[in-house]
Amino acid sequence: MRSPLRRAFDVAAVFIVALYLAPIYWVVLTSIKPTIAINSAKPVWSFEPTWEHYREAFVRFEFDRALLNSAIIVLSATFITMVLALFSSYALARMKIKGADFMSLTILSLRFMPGVVIAMPFFLMFQRLDMIDTHVGMIIIYVGFGLPFAVWLLRGFMMDIPRDVEEAARLDGLGWISIIWRIILPMSGPGIAVTAIFTFVFDWNEFLFALYITQATAVTLPIQISKMIDLYNVLWGTISGAVVMQLVPMVIVVFLLQRHMIRGLALGAVK
Amino acid sequence: MAELSAAQRAASVATPRPRARLRENQVAWLLITPTIIILVALSVYPLIWSGAMAFRVENLFNPKIGKWVGFRNFDFLLFNDDTFWKTIWLTFVWCAVVVSVQLVLGFLLALLMDTTMRAVGVLRTLLVIPVFISPVAMGLTWRFMFEPVSGVINYLITSVGFDRGAWHTATDTALVAVMIAEIWQWTPFVTLIMLAGMQGISPEVIEAARLDRVRGWTYLQRIVIPLIWPVITVVILLRVVDSMRIFDLIYVITRGGPGTATLLASVNTYSIFQSGRLGVMAAYGFLIVILINIVVFAFLRVLYRQEKASRRRAPARA
Repeated sequence: MRSPLRRAFDVAAVFIVALYLAPIYWVVLTSIKPTIAINSAKPVWSFEPTWEHYREAFVRFEFDRALLNSAIIVLSATFITMVLALFSSYALARMKIKGADFMSLTILSLRFMPGVVIAMPFFLMFQRLDMIDTHVGMIIIYVGFGLPFAVWLLRGFMMDIPRDVEEAARLDGLGWISIIWRIILPMSGPGIAVTAIFTFVFDWNEFLFALYITQATAVTLPIQISKMIDLYNVLWGTISGAVVMQLVPMVIVVFLLQRHMIRGLALGAVK
Repeated sequence: MAELSAAQRAASVATPRPRARLRENQVAWLLITPTIIILVALSVYPLIWSGAMAFRVENLFNPKIGKWVGFRNFDFLLFNDDTFWKTIWLTFVWCAVVVSVQLVLGFLLALLMDTTMRAVGVLRTLLVIPVFISPVAMGLTWRFMFEPVSGVINYLITSVGFDRGAWHTATDTALVAVMIAEIWQWTPFVTLIMLAGMQGISPEVIEAARLDRVRGWTYLQRIVIPLIWPVITVVILLRVVDSMRIFDLIYVITRGGPGTATLLASVNTYSIFQSGRLGVMAAYGFLIVILINIVVFAFLRVLYRQEKASRRRAPARA
């Protein structure tokens, strides 16, 4: 039983959400517009779509390398983060360990640390270790950067798994490794997937550390895109193409996460 | 899983408790130690390093001149550097404006979307997209839209009769331009979390309010807001801390300029880094951490008190 007013609100909601995404339509549209149409003072609505800007991004701005760097760094970092988080979050969620709650909160508090404070020591540390501008260096930073959030989120998911299955397995004589491997891992599947996706998102979009640490060989997508505007700030078509390529995976991610995204965004405070 | 004999089963159950507990504890530490080592090495250690650097003169380009100087860096920032106070002030203004606008817009949008309409799931998914897109990508998109000559925003506002603005390229409007981009990107986050809170209100409460003819503003004030208050607290806290740390969005739109118009604390630390004065930068970072902690702590206290008060205000039925 919906009142006419509510119905009007529903229509308004649809319109507002559709309109809200206008900047995204605009950048996608710009990325396939011919350059003349982009630079026109009046927006041009009818044009021949072109892939020129995407090609340009690869040919002139070594986009392939940035894409590959981002893929290598982000995927490796996500994988390592998840392995570490899986073990430690299980211990924090389920095992008898002194001060588990305090430890979890301390780990979470690291998520709030401003990146600007630790980026500089990282730079100096990496300078001494000769790891500036390396993939390994970036992977290490991203593991440290993503771990607090991953442990916290995954711990929340693990606390939701019913205990009796685990108890039964223990009574059947399963060791810790087998319990984690055969019981916890399959049962926290969605939690692991959601945590991994969030970790991927944060690393994929990360800018500050990459700005400090990368120079040429390990440059990630966000850095490469921001370099494009430093060099030629009129090449909006090519920049738009690059932006679209960087944001497409994130749009896919949103559809993958669906109802789980709130939990991740609110640090598990809202389920 | 091997079948166990009755004897083995009995043995495993009958294992003395203290011993079992000890083993579990050891396994737990084994599982958790790698994470702790990594976090200490990658967060705590750099933080301490940074803290120590704050009391030194260090130059990025000339490592040989490093020496301990006590509180000189802090003294310089707090009493001799006008930029410092300007950046702190800007950060506060930024945080206050951005977060409050996001809260109001986010709440209104959540009310609009708190409906039984079938499409609401799709709307929610679409609306959250900005939150997941990198600030670099969205910052550049906004910068392009704000372009004074060819930008679409000036086109739109001139076509409805307003004057064209210089947006991010002028000192008096740059901060507003960047704020718009930030507000646009994070309002959906506020909406979504508040919406989740609203949808968690039990139907009986809503029904009871309807029967009592509690409607409109009273309904929001007496039922909705008190019931979703814990959720609002989380949103405010996350938004305050994250908006104070803002870096990438501003970096790609204005670099802190023009002049110092958008030079927020985190952006300024990068320019100090580029100038090579690492000691000053570390001291700056130190002060930011203290500041964020004070703000978070103060907020938590205020919100906690308000929560208690709002619980008292809430009707007994709810």
